[in-house]
Amino acid sequence: MNHGPVIFLAAFLALTASWFGFVLMPDIQVGGLQQTNMVGVAATYPVERPGLAREGLDVYRANGCASCHSQQVRQSGTVCNVVMTDAGTNRVAVIDVLTQELPDTSRSEIEQMLVGLPKTVLKGSDRPKANRMVRALKSSGAKSSLSIVPVGPDIARGWGKRQTVAEDFLYDDPVMLGSQRIGPDLANVGLREPDARWEYLHLYAPRLEVKGSIMPPFRYLFDERKIGQAPSPDALALPPDLAPPHGYEIVPTRKAQGLVAYLLSLQATAPLFNAPLTVPPSAEPTAQTNAPSKNP
Amino acid sequence: MPEPIQPTPIAETGEPQASQLAMPVWLLVLMFLLLYWGMVYFDQHSGWFNTEVYVPYYSLAEVQEFQPPTGGVDLQRGKALFDNVCALCHNPDGMGKPGQAPPFVGSEWVVGPPSRLIRIPLVGLTGPVSVKGQVFTFAASMPPMGASFSNDDLAAVLSYMRQSWGNKAPPVTSDEVKAVRAQIGNRAQPWTPQELMQIPAK
Ligand code: HEC
Ligand code: HEC
Repeated sequence: MNHGPVIFLAAFLALTASWFGFVLMPDIQVGGLQQTNMVGVAATYPVERPGLAREGLDVYRANGCASCHSQQVRQSGTVCNVVMTDAGTNRVAVIDVLTQELPDTSRSEIEQMLVGLPKTVLKGSDRPKANRMVRALKSSGAKSSLSIVPVGPDIARGWGKRQTVAEDFLYDDPVMLGSQRIGPDLANVGLREPDARWEYLHLYAPRLEVKGSIMPPFRYLFDERKIGQAPSPDALALPPDLAPPHGYEIVPTRKAQGLVAYLLSLQATAPLFNAPLTVPPSAEPTAQTNAPSKNP
Repeated sequence: MPEPIQPTPIAETGEPQASQLAMPVWLLVLMFLLLYWGMVYFDQHSGWFNTEVYVPYYSLAEVQEFQPPTGGVDLQRGKALFDNVCALCHNPDGMGKPGQAPPFVGSEWVVGPPSRLIRIPLVGLTGPVSVKGQVFTFAASMPPMGASFSNDDLAAVLSYMRQSWGNKAPPVTSDEVKAVRAQIGNRAQPWTPQELMQIPAK
């Protein structure tokens, strides 16, 4: 019996079904996504990566960085914290409010909360409870602020402040989500390592920056050339064992420049409606990763 | 000795056989139509997927619950104050009242620079004033109301006015109100529109 048509039909159905599921449906769902507004900040998000950084995305892609690095931060929940910034003048009333709102906290601990403000008086709570606390504190004359804090293992590692959402990748084509985490997640590496010199040295010789790093060096993204009139300001400051022969210098090529511009542009922390968080007044990133400790 | 019981043979009609009855074509067509409709329905609802709701959130309400507080300007309170105070002359729908007060809908004073808008309720305004190209003259001018509003409350009222009835301007913050109060000191005399236009828009 001739099985040809049956096999053809089965293969055709299997392929079209996955095309519907993996190509058509996602395109219907997020294909028309547009810039949105940040929440609480009058700015649109995201902005297109500057030209050099856009070129860098292609370098990132061509060098297979995505095979070791993901760019997706996950979040397992969201909590509210209440920080008291000013206890006002009526200490008794504030202590009353706190005793009422925090039944499990002892009197002496509550009195401790009033010294050395600002202090977090409610941590990891749900929204209604936090709202109640803020209102109660306000009526007692104290000032407090409520912050929305995403939580999860990736966030605890310092890989981001909130989970990444589709908007973060709006202008990336292709999107370099990655699937393995042999190295740390890079969705926010621009905040973690904002120094271009660090990035260049790390690409040229990862172990210069990170002891025992297993990341391969990408030296072919750099040129060795004769020093001209004066040394180039971009030349890498290398230790003697890696330094080029006398009279030569190592400078990043345009590819390396693009790649580093791209890395520095990787920052996905804007507060969005679908990824809410409170931006702390000091936008100081927590510089900790699960990468091996840095050389001093 | 009784005879052994012989099983009576069952009348048999031969082995059952599958015949060649085909499935009716209309059933097949109906099945495919239903399948097609089901797929279209699923697609149209996008599998109930919503780009505003990603795990760990499970519903829009949950996402909304975690929106950060909006820096103190409380539009709810703004509306209540507006309806109680300003609406007496300006009407609750912000359209003004003939012979009493000019409209706010699309008014360049309302959606314009906050530095000018904040000054109006603080010490009042005497006309004639032009709003959207129309000049209004009233028997009584707008009274000063600065003393009866806290900075938070005035910011709330003005923000409500700037974001209602089709107006779309950024909110006024209570810090801005505070700054303007400090600038005008203890002036009690109402502004004239010409004076206000001298104030830099910032
Ligand atoms: C073989 C896997 C591998 C490949 C391929 C790879 N990396 Fe890495 N990368 C790592 C590992 C492991 C670390 C952690 C150790 C370190 O910091 O050197 C790392 C660290 C980093 C860091 C520092 C992250 C931090 O949080 O401090 C950056 C930036 C980085 N890689 C960029 C790149 C870029 C750009 C490429 C492509 C040109 C690339 N990596 C390719 C494995 C890899
Ligand atoms: C007693 C009546 C009265 C009340 C109450 C009143 N206004 Fe007015 N308002 C006026 C009059 C009258 C004018 C026009 C000035 C003139 O011609 O003398 C005016 C003008 C204005 C204008 C500028 C013109 C425009 O339409 O944009 C603003 C802004 C304004 N009022 C804001 C407020 C706010 C805010 C409140 C409440 C806090 C308020 N007014 C309450 C009578 C009133």
